[in-house]
Amino acid sequence: MMKELQQLESDALSELSTATSEEQVLTVKTKYLGRKGLLTGLLRNISRVPDEEKPLFGKRCNELKNSLNARLDQAIEQYTSRNKEQALFKEKIDVTLPGRSVNCGRVHPVVQIRREICSVFSSFGFSIVEGPEIELDYYNFEALNIPKDHPARDMQDTFYIDENIVLRTHTSPVQIRVMEKIKPPLRILSPGKVYRRDSDVSHTPMFHQIEGLLVDKNVTFGDLKGILSAFLKKIFGSSTMLRFRPSFFPFTEPSAEVDIRCVMCGGKGCRVCGQSGWLEILGSGMVDPAVFRNVDYDPDEYSGFAFGLGLERIAMLKYGISDIRLFFENDIRFLKQF
Amino acid sequence: MLVGLTWLKDYVDVQLTAKDLADKLTMAGLEVDEIKKVGPSFSGVVVAKIISVGPHPSADRLSLCDVHDGKDLYRIVCGAKNIAPGNIVPLAKVGAVIPGGYTIKSSVLRGEKSDGMLCSEAELEIGIDATGIMQLSPDLVLGQPLEEALNLKDTVLDVNVTPNRPDCLSMIGIAREVAALTGRKIKWPAVRIHEKAPDIHSVTSVTIIDSDLCPRYTARVIKNIAIAPSPRWMRLRLESAGLRSINNIVDITNFVMLETGQPLHAFDFRFLEEGRIVVRRSLENEEFISLDGKIRTLPADTVLICDGIKPVAIGGIMGGLNSEVKEDTQTVLLESAYFRPTSIRSSSRKLGMSTDAAFRFERGIDPDGVVRALDRAAQLMVDLSGGSICKNYIDEYPRKISSAGDIPLRLDRIRKIIGTKIAARDVLKILRRLDMTVKPEGKGRYLVTPPTCRVDLEREIDLIEEIVRLYGYDRVPVTLPDVSVNELDVIARLDMEERLRQLLTGSGFTEIVNYSFGTPSAADMLSLPATDERRNTVRIKNPLGEELSTMRTNLIYGLLDTAKRNFNNGAFDLKLFEIGRIFLHRREGELPEEKTMIAGLITGKIRDDFWNSEQTVDFYTLKGALENIFCDFKIQNCRYAATTDESFLHPGKACHIVLYETVIGAVGEIHPDVLEKLDIRNTIYVFEMNIDILSRVCEQNSLSFNEVSKFPAVIRDAAFVIPDPMEAEQMIDIVLSQMEELLENVSIFDVYKGKGIPEGTKSLGLRFSYRANDRTLTDAEASAVHDRIVQKTVNVTGAKLRS
Repeated sequence: MMKELQQLESDALSELSTATSEEQVLTVKTKYLGRKGLLTGLLRNISRVPDEEKPLFGKRCNELKNSLNARLDQAIEQYTSRNKEQALFKEKIDVTLPGRSVNCGRVHPVVQIRREICSVFSSFGFSIVEGPEIELDYYNFEALNIPKDHPARDMQDTFYIDENIVLRTHTSPVQIRVMEKIKPPLRILSPGKVYRRDSDVSHTPMFHQIEGLLVDKNVTFGDLKGILSAFLKKIFGSSTMLRFRPSFFPFTEPSAEVDIRCVMCGGKGCRVCGQSGWLEILGSGMVDPAVFRNVDYDPDEYSGFAFGLGLERIAMLKYGISDIRLFFENDIRFLKQF
Repeated sequence: MLVGLTWLKDYVDVQLTAKDLADKLTMAGLEVDEIKKVGPSFSGVVVAKIISVGPHPSADRLSLCDVHDGKDLYRIVCGAKNIAPGNIVPLAKVGAVIPGGYTIKSSVLRGEKSDGMLCSEAELEIGIDATGIMQLSPDLVLGQPLEEALNLKDTVLDVNVTPNRPDCLSMIGIAREVAALTGRKIKWPAVRIHEKAPDIHSVTSVTIIDSDLCPRYTARVIKNIAIAPSPRWMRLRLESAGLRSINNIVDITNFVMLETGQPLHAFDFRFLEEGRIVVRRSLENEEFISLDGKIRTLPADTVLICDGIKPVAIGGIMGGLNSEVKEDTQTVLLESAYFRPTSIRSSSRKLGMSTDAAFRFERGIDPDGVVRALDRAAQLMVDLSGGSICKNYIDEYPRKISSAGDIPLRLDRIRKIIGTKIAARDVLKILRRLDMTVKPEGKGRYLVTPPTCRVDLEREIDLIEEIVRLYGYDRVPVTLPDVSVNELDVIARLDMEERLRQLLTGSGFTEIVNYSFGTPSAADMLSLPATDERRNTVRIKNPLGEELSTMRTNLIYGLLDTAKRNFNNGAFDLKLFEIGRIFLHRREGELPEEKTMIAGLITGKIRDDFWNSEQTVDFYTLKGALENIFCDFKIQNCRYAATTDESFLHPGKACHIVLYETVIGAVGEIHPDVLEKLDIRNTIYVFEMNIDILSRVCEQNSLSFNEVSKFPAVIRDAAFVIPDPMEAEQMIDIVLSQMEELLENVSIFDVYKGKGIPEGTKSLGLRFSYRANDRTLTDAEASAVHDRIVQKTVNVTGAKLRS
């Protein structure tokens, strides 16, 4: 009987090994372990086993039953999971087709630059202020130390509404309006549209500026250099090389033009920087005492600096755009790139 | 200002390379925009000596020359008559290129070989003499390239002179600056006046009637001049400054203006009636022909230089055709004057004449340089035109030209402004280098007198700028200001604008920025009625063109224009928005009203990728985007009221956006008539609303919390057949007005028109959700409420229930 038991085990295993589907495994299971199966049959014939071997035979039978059962269940499990897998595989989709997004729109590149600059200055404690885009000549020019019939007016070709009303040529008039109302200390930033009568590859009759003003006791030219260096390094990278060079603006003295090393050629000289290796980025200077007097600040008590920059210029340098007019043509193929 | 280095070196020694000099000037505030190499338009021409001249065997007019360039002998066939053995001449060798782009080749002329060409001045464009071969100085080195031998090559710096530095609108001014920067001395041109003609006072007189416009007028008379071409050195210098040579007299006035910064004018004395000068202001609309031949109508208060009878020049701006120097001029009256800067600027602007002279006068010339320039030019007229100067000069100086005089300077003030201490010794050194006179005035105090040419220096702060400019901006240490913040109120609208950008880009809209200018026809194109406030346009007096001559009064027109441009580029599926100001005229002489608006536009397919959907946008797509915005802003009281008031919108597909009874904007489909006028064939939906109002409303908005029920809801549907014109919102209002406590929510799940329901009606499917906060509702409870609501709604509206 023990021999038969051994025979049965090896038969069952070899049949299992040739089974190729879930069904065939199930057939093997029924054949050996079913209610009318071969192993059950053997057990039923236990009477034929000599008494002293009966316990051992019974034990072996049970062991075989358990081990076969486990092997067979394992095989069945394998086939079911493979079947499920195959069924899922048939549901395969093309993941490379475009998703059902809303096709996200874009923020205008100049506005993106404005955000970036405003957030840097906000971190320096500057508040954003606003003023009218159509301005009195007084605020746009005279209060800023640019009298009528002064050659400095040539620096900004102006659109006139009437004798005394202009489209603002810079956002500096906002500073005057704020200083008229608020006493120092003051840290303000005025972003906005400005207008100059000019139109070519590098000029549009409307563009965007950001101007800043810091007034307090003991503000120095060194502070101007400090704040503007920190700002430019945040925008153009911490290794950016800068230089401050003398210039002229009617409302500041001393005045400084700030250049960065050309981002295109790294200083070797190229078309973008006009071979100089430097790019003009912003104008700045210590507020002229005459301007302070116009807003009733005492120039002996307070000092301050102001600066201004054109946003389109920064965007052009950052993105390598050579024609400023592209910003206002609003071609969707252009706007979608930012 | 174009600064040729050859010319500059007449006044100051320059050891630096052009690049280094440009850097030094730039870092001192005289920005060099460009370094230009200039030179002759020929190459391969060398200095050579004629060894022998012999006859050409078969041509009488030609001769055969042997020419030596210091190394080799060349046989040249030449047609000129002015050559002889021993002459030093320019030889264009085989391969040379002469002006006009001609390359010299070895050639055979009447049977004789010629290995090059001897050149005239005109052929090399060095001068105008074309009568014979150019004769060179015998001390030149044979074989040397001609451009080197004659110093024809030059480097020119294009210096950007800021409006505060009129002193640098001259070669001597730039030279002074270079001298100050490099620690050298200026070499003033020597002026020795030889007065050989009769006393000027016996010849002419000057009367200044309006000394407020012309405080100083000086003049000399030079007789017996001969008009001729200028010598080469002068022509080269003028050319390096970008001026064309005309004749010796005109060139001298230009040369001295560029040298000293003092504009000069030479009158032909024979055309000055009564032989005298009268300076007066113009009468309104006086007419005058300037020397460019144009008839000018003069604005009032323009300085006129007149003779005894008539105007002969617009003072400080341009001379007159009636008195200009001609080929046969023999006597000139030379003018060197000081005109009031604001007067010249005002006149030159009104006349649209920005001449070199006006440019200098309006910025301010050196009041003490007037006579120096007069003498310099007069002497050059003697040297270059053989003239003789009348004895003495006229100097009418009725009104003192104010200058700053002594300016107090405090050392501690320098430190306070720049943040670092500059030693007194260094301060004094810098001031003296700039030709300033410094007198001590107690400890750390000085009185400083700038040179008269520095009209920009009037105050202590002007001196401080000069000191730090020469000290070097790069030497000022970087510091940070002390923290003392005066935090201002945040502008709520700006935060709202940023949030609007995020919401709209998230809904697929792309931001555009249009010009604030607009065409005056925009109001007509949008069919705005005559009374619409958007017709109150602000007009620009000097626009860049009719299309840009008004300020926009709405953002929609710009969006439509942008859409059209994109259609032309083949982009038909667009979602655009813009945030910006509009401008409404209020009253003459008053600032206009400015409103911040947001507007959006959609057209085409909802999505632009083909495989998902071909569905096109409609009114509800745009309304959905707006609902999204109001949802984010927690605005619940926004209503959409159908309107026919917006003339540019489709009367059946338009509504006002109403917040707390205030109309803040409109949304709808563009009227087909407007599309037709704009030649657009695509259906377009737009909205525009006022963000100033929106942000004010949101500031007042407050939120409160409602408990969330733990118990399930019971859902019931009902479909009502109602007249087609009845609005869905009206039905919802009727349902909600019953104030049933258990009704949690009612929403529209279906709108149907067509088969199965009568014409002129529609079926509105409403979904009701019932829920209690403290228990699970039973079916019976829910049904009781639902039936009550439905019945009442039917009673109120006369709707029929659809089964």
